[in-house]
Amino acid sequence: MSAVDLTQFHKTFFEESLEGLDAMEAALLALDSGSTDTELVHTIFRAAHSIKGGAATFGFTDVAAFTHVAESLLEEVRSERRAVEAELIELLLRSVDCLRAMLARSSSGQPVADAESEALRAELVRLVSGEADATAVVAAATVAAVSGWEIGFSALPHLLQTGNDPLRLFRELQQLGRLEVVRAFLLDGAPQLADLDPSSCHLGWELRLHGDVARGDIDAVFDWLDGDCELTIKPLQAASSGNAVAATPQQAPAVVQPEAPAAGRPVRETAVASSEGGTIRVGIDKVDALINMMGELVITQSMLSDIGENFQLSKLEHLRDGLAQLERTTRELQESVMRIRMLPIGSVFNRFPRLVRDLERKLGKQVRLELHGEHTELDKTVMEKIGDPLVHLVRNAIDHGLEMPAQRKAAGKPETGMLKLNAYHEGGNIVVQISDDGAGLNRDAIVAKAQQRGLIQAGQELSDADVAELIFQPGFSTAAQATDLSGRGVGMDVVRRNVRDLGGTVSVRSISGKGSTFTIALPLTLAIIDGLATAIGSERYIVPLISIVESLRLRPETVRKIAGGGEVFHFRDEYVPIMRLHRAFACADAVTDIEQGIVVVVEDDGRRVGLLVDDLLGQQQAVVKSLEAHYQRVQGISGATILSDGSVALIVDVSGVVRLGQRRKAA
Amino acid sequence: MAGKRKTAPDGAHDHAAAAEVDTGRSEDALVVLPADCRMAAQAALKEELLGALKAGAIVLDGARVERTDTAALQMLVVFRRELDKCGGTLSWRGTSDALNEAAGVLGLVQILELPAIEPA
Repeated sequence: MSAVDLTQFHKTFFEESLEGLDAMEAALLALDSGSTDTELVHTIFRAAHSIKGGAATFGFTDVAAFTHVAESLLEEVRSERRAVEAELIELLLRSVDCLRAMLARSSSGQPVADAESEALRAELVRLVSGEADATAVVAAATVAAVSGWEIGFSALPHLLQTGNDPLRLFRELQQLGRLEVVRAFLLDGAPQLADLDPSSCHLGWELRLHGDVARGDIDAVFDWLDGDCELTIKPLQAASSGNAVAATPQQAPAVVQPEAPAAGRPVRETAVASSEGGTIRVGIDKVDALINMMGELVITQSMLSDIGENFQLSKLEHLRDGLAQLERTTRELQESVMRIRMLPIGSVFNRFPRLVRDLERKLGKQVRLELHGEHTELDKTVMEKIGDPLVHLVRNAIDHGLEMPAQRKAAGKPETGMLKLNAYHEGGNIVVQISDDGAGLNRDAIVAKAQQRGLIQAGQELSDADVAELIFQPGFSTAAQATDLSGRGVGMDVVRRNVRDLGGTVSVRSISGKGSTFTIALPLTLAIIDGLATAIGSERYIVPLISIVESLRLRPETVRKIAGGGEVFHFRDEYVPIMRLHRAFACADAVTDIEQGIVVVVEDDGRRVGLLVDDLLGQQQAVVKSLEAHYQRVQGISGATILSDGSVALIVDVSGVVRLGQRRKAA
Repeated sequence: MAGKRKTAPDGAHDHAAAAEVDTGRSEDALVVLPADCRMAAQAALKEELLGALKAGAIVLDGARVERTDTAALQMLVVFRRELDKCGGTLSWRGTSDALNEAAGVLGLVQILELPAIEPA
């Protein structure tokens, strides 16, 4: 073989394998919840099979060996020689986890097999080779499920027209094992030579394929013949015993089908190392939309250059039309490009059935998980970062929110608790809600704990909102016992910080005895923000619209000077510090008189600061360019954007500025 | 068009579409399979074979075949069946490796009476 560099395909292999594992996991969970759909078993088998194939091709022998044993086990399930039991599903789910870890290790170049994977493999081998023969661990890795297969294959007339030539199929079978043609024959009803259409097929075969061949390998050969032939496949030695498995391709559809809903799914967290700057799967419709838009752009461009070449004043109207069209197309193009980065949140939601199942077992609770709005799309970057906070909230809801079945019964609720995840678009944001019908926040426990931690004083009056706010404080956890799931004191504050890093907010509403709802609101994308353009001296600054509470011109009497040179003003029953941006950013020629300028009140994390600017220029969308990437990190600035006149405006980092302002207030 | 009767040996040449070349014996019809003996070539081949059916003994020359497919081999199988019906005989003047291999894979060596070669 020539030296083809296989490493270039590694990333694709990892991505596809992880997707396969996702599909396997989903199917296992469906089986676990009592589904008897045989297609699920096929899905699991196919996933394992393609991972094995890929791993062997790319030289990840440990992964290949592991999946081989798992595949043998699945083969037994598929041929109905082994029943689907809870224990088996558990073992296979653990295998999925183990494979994920193995893939993560291979992608980062670490040794792939470890004690855990070896132990699990031995367990699988034991199961495959029969419990009695535990010593044959190594040999069983290459164990043959059957000594061969009997294949009955009859072409339907249109087979050849689909481009599927039996000649090629049989050659593929020959790759798998020794192919014996027991009989080849013309089917009943084959026409006379004079009437024979060369493109229609009237042949049938009885074949035997000898050797250690997995059923899945044979299926793979016939995968694309769905409805083009009649096919029976039986294990060779069982061919006469009557418990043979007959399958037509209709029952074992092409591999593409189970993968279809997984299209566009991003790589899981386990592949963080490789997903940095990774690839993205884009629906063909989105690409088509882009190409359409490109076509429009080219037309407009040629029209404009036509006008430009021999311009007369009479063509001014045409020029205007052209420019308007250019603007429209550019905007649409921008939207289309942004849409490429948008992925359905379903891929994040997909990990929850497994999580919920594991937690149910661990905690002895019963949970019904409902997922809504899986098709809601959000930016890939946001999606990758929202996973962990969501996992945390789901864990919390099950661990702290939902009660034990007995307690629920006593409270007159169904024993099975309800956990609902919902995602939808609202304005320019995506909103994700995690609601449970559990006990709700325990007000007394929270207040007691807060007092104990010195977060509030005894006897302090607190509204429900204030109490809810307390759980987001660092180091706050009310779990009576710290479980390994939650209650280690790294909880809601981390969630809030993560969400805030994405420019979003998290809040909670809780009704005692009825349950709690956590609401996360996130910007759809990090790449474009809605901002308010402001002038400071000769410079332009963008303040993110999402943080702005109000903009106002202050009257002199509302401003107070405080010790240390700071200024505050009275705003809605509180004193808000004034931050002179011209001073913070050292802008020359700026308005220094507070009455002449405008104060933009911004809020971050419940804290407010008034930013003094010269003037407001208007609202606009800003495409965020990273300052760090192009220059260096600047305190108080989160990025830059290019304005319509080509000049650069800086984007104010509101939380950074607020922290600065609060420090002044405290000083 | 069933039942094309075998005509008398000396009548073998009365059809224009019949095989071009005679072998030694005048009643034999020779059909040469083309190098690219695949589906696209079958319409022409079919006409030749239909014409050849009129002769009692058919000689097929497959020595030039470089590429073939199931459609081509099926055509020969159907031809063979028809030939049997009208009592004709089939012999091969030559067979290429490609033809032998394909017939071997599809298990058609015996039906087509290909010269015995170790199957691929």
